[in-house]
Order: sequence, then C-alpha cells, then structure tokens
Amino acid sequence: MSVIYNPNTLPKNDNLSRFAYSIDVDGPLYIQKGKMVAYYGALKFEMVGTGILDIVVKEAFNAPMYAQDFVCVTGRGKLILGDMGNDISGFDLVDANFTIKATNLLAVPSTLRCQESTLPGYLTLIGSGRLLVSSNGPPHFLEPPCKIDEQAVLGWADCPSPSYRYDYAYVHGIISAVGALSGITRSGEEKQLDFQGKGNVMVQSSELGLAGRGLLAQILRQIGTLEKPQLAEVAQAVARNMKG
Amino acid sequence: MPNYQLINEKMLSVTLANEEVFAKSGAMVGYTGDVAFQRSFLTGAGVQELAMRAVTNEGLAMMKARGKGNVLYAYDGGFVTIVQVQGETLYVESETLLAFDSRLKPGTMFIGNQGGVQGILRGAVSGQGLFTTTLEGTGEAVIISDGNAIGLEVKPDRPVFVDPNAYIGHKGQVSSQIVTDLGWKTMVGQASGESYQVKFTGQGTVYIQASER
Repeated sequence: MSVIYNPNTLPKNDNLSRFAYSIDVDGPLYIQKGKMVAYYGALKFEMVGTGILDIVVKEAFNAPMYAQDFVCVTGRGKLILGDMGNDISGFDLVDANFTIKATNLLAVPSTLRCQESTLPGYLTLIGSGRLLVSSNGPPHFLEPPCKIDEQAVLGWADCPSPSYRYDYAYVHGIISAVGALSGITRSGEEKQLDFQGKGNVMVQSSELGLAGRGLLAQILRQIGTLEKPQLAEVAQAVARNMKG
Repeated sequence: MPNYQLINEKMLSVTLANEEVFAKSGAMVGYTGDVAFQRSFLTGAGVQELAMRAVTNEGLAMMKARGKGNVLYAYDGGFVTIVQVQGETLYVESETLLAFDSRLKPGTMFIGNQGGVQGILRGAVSGQGLFTTTLEGTGEAVIISDGNAIGLEVKPDRPVFVDPNAYIGHKGQVSSQIVTDLGWKTMVGQASGESYQVKFTGQGTVYIQASER
C-alpha cells in the first residue's frame, strides 16, 4: 500500500523517491523555475532580483544570465521538488568550488555563492551548503585525468576547467575537418572534455539531455497555442536540427 | 474481492476468484487461469451517465476481466500505486486510472461543482479538462503515474500547495483553490512553474507525481 506523507513524516532534506526530493526550508534558497511540485507551510516564491531580497541576491546569486531560470524561495516549510522524471541527488559542499551545467542545477541554498562560469552554460558554486542536481540516470564521479563526452558531463569540483581534446584521426582527416567546420558532427566520439589536476568530475549515466518525455509533452502541449507563422518557424527549427 | 498486489513498481497483479475487475484498455500484459475479457461501458451507469462520459471525454474505456485466475497489468512504463479508498470519494482523471472493481462506484464530475469558478480555473491551468472521474465507496483503486505517486496528507490546519501539473488526484473532503504567489511582473509570458499553485484544504489526501507531465 502506498505511503501517505505529512510534514512530520516527510524526509528531512532527502530523497522521497528517485524522482522527488523533500527540502526543509528555513533560509533563502534558489530553485529552478517550474520544479516545485508541492509544499507545506508558509513559503514564498519570488523572481530572483525582485522584492526585498535584492541584497541577498547580490551576495549569493551572482548570475544575471540565469536569473530568469531560477526562483527565490523564502519562509519556513517543507518543499518537494521534482524534475519531470529525472533523477535527483543532493550533494554537500564544504568550502568547495563546484561548477555545474546550469540546466542540471535544481536547487542551491543562499549559503553558496553562485556565479557564471567562463564556460557558457555552466554555473560555479563557491562555499558550503547542499545543492540538488537533476540528471538523466544517476550521477557518477570520476577523478582526473579523464576525458569525457561533453553531453555526459554534469560538472566538476575543485579541478581546473577542462579543455577540448580532439581525436587524432579526426583532426587529420579531411572529411572530418570539413565536418568540424560545418558543425555537422556532434557525436562526442571525436571531441571530449579533457580534465586535468586534482578534483572530481560528475558524469551522467546517459548521453541524453534532461527530461525525455516530460519536456516533449510540455512542448507538444504548447504547440497548440501557436499561430501559423510561428508554427512555420518551429518547423524550420526542427528541420535544421534534424539535419544536424 | 479481487486481490491487488504489486509485482514491482510498474506491474500490478490482480487475483480473481470468480470476480471481476475493470482495467484500462490495453494495459493487460498477461494472465493465468480461466479469465474472460470484455470491453465495458461501466455497468450500473445510466443512459445519462453514458452520454455524459461521451460528451466530457472522461470516457472510461475499460476492459472487464472476469473469472478465476491471475491477471497482470502494466501501462506505458508508468508507476503503479494502489490507493485505499475507505468510505470516501477518490477524484482522478480517467487516464490515470489503471484498475478498480465493483466495490467502488464510478461517476463523472464537473470540477466546477467542487470549488466553483476556482475548479474551472484549475482545469484550465493544468490542462486536465473540466471533468474528472470519481470512485466512491470502500475498496482499492489503482492509479498510474509518471514516477512514483506521492500521497500528501491534508488537514484543516495544514493545507498543502501543489503545482497543477503535478496533481494526479485526491480523496476525502478536500477543496481546492488557485493561488498565485509570484508578483504580476513574473506572470507575463510564463505559464509554467510557480506562478500558479493549487491550495488544497480540508481533510484527505492529495496525490502528486514528481514529473509534472
């Protein structure tokens, strides 16, 4: 028989299942927009950068490019997060420096300073606190030196930012070089991220991005609201991507 | 009475002893024993009920299994949850209903009746339609969800707030209300996420899924 939870029986800052996580909120926290599934208690959700929290934001959430992707949660209560059937895991950082793909960062407390990485699409978290990561398949850690498919990399801690490493045959093959110029090949077999130094690299157990069916369902649902010219634009974008 | 058991998180086994069970069409994966299957227009429902189902799209396209044996059900890789209904009413979308038996009486309800305009609004916001299926009585109902279904208790002094997209169903004396928490600035052009929440108050249980379909 299924368990029925109440605020006292919900786990404290732990997974509810592979796909859901329960957080005890008692200080400001940033969560990715649209990932709240339910909550108990008096919680307030505000856009990052609006309201009286600007001072906190200035200190903690220093990533204007991503401000619109996150929501600031304040108050006290139990918050349940889910990410369309992706695996959710919590990691404790202690005086650490952790860089993570922005789309995979689900929640971060204001005790961690969040800044944009020099690598586009990544955020760097500095300090101590527990962050939540969502991934397609459970995450796995590797120690440098290692080379990893760009699509499978979720983030890295304490080691220098990676560089690209091309396959020898790829660099020297004329056909492949043409492919590189035109941006046609993207399989990851010819080009990897090369990690050096000391630290940890977090890898996803799938090369697929986040949110298979959930995201698809969301897109399909919204397609109905588009006008004909907009649909034509979508069709063009789809055709472009299908070629690649 | 039919005996419901989970083989694993995605598969249900129903043991029948000359009894019948109603289950979602296309969900049967196998059976042992002497069981007959028949397409069912939910017995006991009058002509009006039938017409209502046809009009409202809450059509329960169910297969009736009857006999002595064991039937296995699974549907589209969804997670299976057995819900205990005890002298109360369970409200679920017909699509999420995997199986139930004659101990529970099915019906269709206009959500607007429950929570008035707010109910209508909720249907519109969550894209779940304005009609829902009800099951009344004492027994078990089985639902399917994207990811594990999570039951959250609601008490008069302890409401629960839910993302409309994550809502599966609820049981008991519970009423719902749309609340918006973000400022108007953030509502423009953003219909997903924390802009709208459904507040459930009363006494009962709300079921959610982690996947926001």
